[in-house]
Amino acid sequence: MKATWNRIVQTLKGRRSTPLSEAGTEPVLDAESQSPVAADARGADAPRLNWAYLLPTARTVRWLTAGTVVAAAGLMVYRNPPVQHLAQGDLGVRLNQFTGAVSLWRDGSVWVVPGLHTVRVFSLRDQSYRPEAMRQATGSAPLQSVEGLSLGLDLSVRYALDPNSPAVKAGNLPDNVGVDIVEPAVQGLVYKVFARYTVREIFSSKRAEISQIIETELRARLAADGVTLRSLQIGKVDLPAEYRRGMDSLLAEELASEKMRYTLELKDKRVRETELDANADKVRREVAAEAAAREQVIAAKAQEEAMKHVLPFKQRQIEQRQLEAEAERVARVKAAEGNAQARRIEANGEADARQKLAEAEAYRMDRVGKVNAEQMAREGALVTKHPLLIQKTLADKLSDKIQVIIAPPPTNGDFIGAALLGGNRNAQAGAAQAAAVAEDAATTQAVEQ
Amino acid sequence: MNATFATLFAAVASAAVTVAAEAAPVPAPVPATNAQGSAIVVQDQASLRAAPRDGAQQQASLWQGEVLEVRGERLDYLQVWDHKRERGGFIRASDVRRVALTEAEGPALLAVTRFVQDTPGAEALGIGLTAAYLQAAPAKALAGVEGAQAFDALGTFADRLARRASVAVPGKASGAALSAHLDVANGYGVRFATYEVEGRMQVCYEGEAFRRLLAMPVADAEQRARAVLALTRPECINPDLPAHERAKVTTWQAEVLERVDVAGLPGYLRNRVQMRRASVWGAAAFQQARRNAADPAVAAAAARALTEFTGVSKAELPDEDQSAYNDAAMRVSAVRWALVPAAAPVATAAGARPTLLTEPGAPGETCVLLVDAQHSAKAPLLRRCTYGVVWTASASTNREGTALALAVQPMEGWRELWVLRKTEGGWLADVLPPAAATPETGVAEWAGWVPGGQQMLVAREARGQGRYRKSFEVVRLEGLTTERVTGDVAALPLFQRWQDPAWKRQTLSLR
Repeated sequence: MKATWNRIVQTLKGRRSTPLSEAGTEPVLDAESQSPVAADARGADAPRLNWAYLLPTARTVRWLTAGTVVAAAGLMVYRNPPVQHLAQGDLGVRLNQFTGAVSLWRDGSVWVVPGLHTVRVFSLRDQSYRPEAMRQATGSAPLQSVEGLSLGLDLSVRYALDPNSPAVKAGNLPDNVGVDIVEPAVQGLVYKVFARYTVREIFSSKRAEISQIIETELRARLAADGVTLRSLQIGKVDLPAEYRRGMDSLLAEELASEKMRYTLELKDKRVRETELDANADKVRREVAAEAAAREQVIAAKAQEEAMKHVLPFKQRQIEQRQLEAEAERVARVKAAEGNAQARRIEANGEADARQKLAEAEAYRMDRVGKVNAEQMAREGALVTKHPLLIQKTLADKLSDKIQVIIAPPPTNGDFIGAALLGGNRNAQAGAAQAAAVAEDAATTQAVEQ
Repeated sequence: MNATFATLFAAVASAAVTVAAEAAPVPAPVPATNAQGSAIVVQDQASLRAAPRDGAQQQASLWQGEVLEVRGERLDYLQVWDHKRERGGFIRASDVRRVALTEAEGPALLAVTRFVQDTPGAEALGIGLTAAYLQAAPAKALAGVEGAQAFDALGTFADRLARRASVAVPGKASGAALSAHLDVANGYGVRFATYEVEGRMQVCYEGEAFRRLLAMPVADAEQRARAVLALTRPECINPDLPAHERAKVTTWQAEVLERVDVAGLPGYLRNRVQMRRASVWGAAAFQQARRNAADPAVAAAAARALTEFTGVSKAELPDEDQSAYNDAAMRVSAVRWALVPAAAPVATAAGARPTLLTEPGAPGETCVLLVDAQHSAKAPLLRRCTYGVVWTASASTNREGTALALAVQPMEGWRELWVLRKTEGGWLADVLPPAAATPETGVAEWAGWVPGGQQMLVAREARGQGRYRKSFEVVRLEGLTTERVTGDVAALPLFQRWQDPAWKRQTLSLR
């Protein structure tokens, strides 16, 4: 703005030295266009026009001059407005050129007195920096690993100005923060950090660590310059082609080894699973077997108990039977004793009875004998008196059909019937008579007994 | 030209001859073996002789049912080869029945089998004939009614043979015949299992034919009934089986018995199935009760047992089933208290009479506690534990409150009567077993209290050592001695007067 003002001043100064006619003809054109083409054109047309007729009067010139001054002033104000507008996210740093005071302005308008103030506007919005030179391993400025291999890195740094940092407040920021602060800081750190690691570490294992280191260090560095690091992202790592092939195969190997590890782990887990299953099954079976065994034991105990209960009962039954047998024995002994006694009494009675009977018999026999003797005595007397009675009795006893004829016995002692039968029979008759008498006596004896 | 034609003609002719020769029927090869069929021995101790004469040397003695391969005929003899003994010889034609094992012969074989089916002593022959039929008949016939008949016959033969072998047979000759018949049956793949029961070997058919029969949809109710009766024979459960295996067998038996529809069966067969069902369900109820007596499945099983038992018609009970009927009655009677829900323990303050509580003791043990108003469960009047099932619903106290009867079942089909009585020294528990014999099957039931607190009425029924005994007794509480005993309840006036109405209503001993 200052330059523009100076230019106008210079232009106005120049016009005063040129003829008024020329200056009054097209002041605006002169002020606005300074191209040599236009000057040439004017220069070319000038000989063909007769400007003398057109020359203004002095009054006109004054008016024209005043108008020009007003227009120039208006233009100057238009071109260098005393108010500077700050868009959202802009930071205005106004420097008082006389006092050197710096004031910060945000979002809105700030008075800028031309010649007094200068305002520098910085963006507080996030910006990013992606270093192109280090993107390719074959690029202009690739990174170097500890082995000295070139590698490319897709790095993206997002940053923003920190309005509260002293560097910003002091107002001594470079015009281009990105180029003047961020780029050197990033490059100065990244090359150094990456040079500490091998390609393999950069590529696979230590990437996060590197990212972390860079981020931490960069954050500190940038903070010192009033720049806040929002984020840092390490993208693709571009390896040298040969190395990449080797790396790929190595990684593939590693992957295979990893896969093997996982496979082994899986198998191990399967083995463990099988083992656990088997254990669970074993435990289940053991529990079932235990339960079955317990059940069996309980059943056996119940059976034993039942058996045990039978035994005392049996014992009781036996005792009862013994008692019954004892009672039976006692009863039988008693009965036998009673029987024996009864029989003894009976026998005594019997003996007494028999004695009595015998006595009675003896008495009877005595009496009968006596009676018989008397009878015999009587009969003897009778037979003696009547000897034929013997024959008669004999004949009577022989049969009731026999008729007895009582005849006197032969005197010679012959058989009684000898007289009937004839002679010489006396001897026989006598014998028969003697037999008859004997028989009669025997018969009598039998009757008596 | 002529020569060419002649050559062509000759070629055609020779080709025709070749074709005709190939097409001619080739005489069928004579089967090397079994050309003359087989023969089944129909007589016991038939002689296999070295020559076709009666006087020839005897090679072997054959038993009915054995199969021989016929290789020729000589005079009145068949020349045969015995594959079992690997010996050839001659056998009289009248001692064997020749079978050709062709499809056409199937019906004839089945007819003979049917005839033999009811002939005692001809089991081995029947098995041989059935095997011949099974080989001769086509698959279609075997899947149909005829097949069912054949399997029924095979199972019947095997089962009857096993039963014959199990009963004690006097005489050496019959024993030899039996073992020979078993051997013949084994030769046909009929398997037998043997168990030692009460010091004797029990032979049991393993039941393959009956299992096949049960799987056949064409089998009729009678065949099924015979099959399940043979498969669920109680004496054929291995006595050495552990308790849990026994429970599985019982469950299986209950399932198998369900496969018979008893509605269409003749009375005696229906009775047998129902008696078997009653026994099996009684056993199932006890096994479930041993795990958890409060399980509703116990009551369900016991109810099922009782239903089946009451379904038995006494009018159609043959003499030989009387023993099974008694056994079923005892087994059902043993678990009948499962049907009565156990009353909740009455509050002890309700009366002076003691009541019973139960609590678990050692694993599988139930402890019975006798409590009253003064003695709580912590200091009971009496505590006694048992490994049997305590049927708490059966507890009954006498009028004087000096004695209490309780049914405890330690074994399947064996229920004891516990008598808890008050003595001067405190309460005592005595056990009255069903019989003074090795526990098998039996029930001792409390039937009533005689007033005075000195006697009680007990009904006992038991089978032990092959003897069945039922008695009604007047038992003295003091020492549990039997005062009066009778087999007929009407002969005991004391019993008539004081028997418990509830007992009389529910008991099975007055059946």
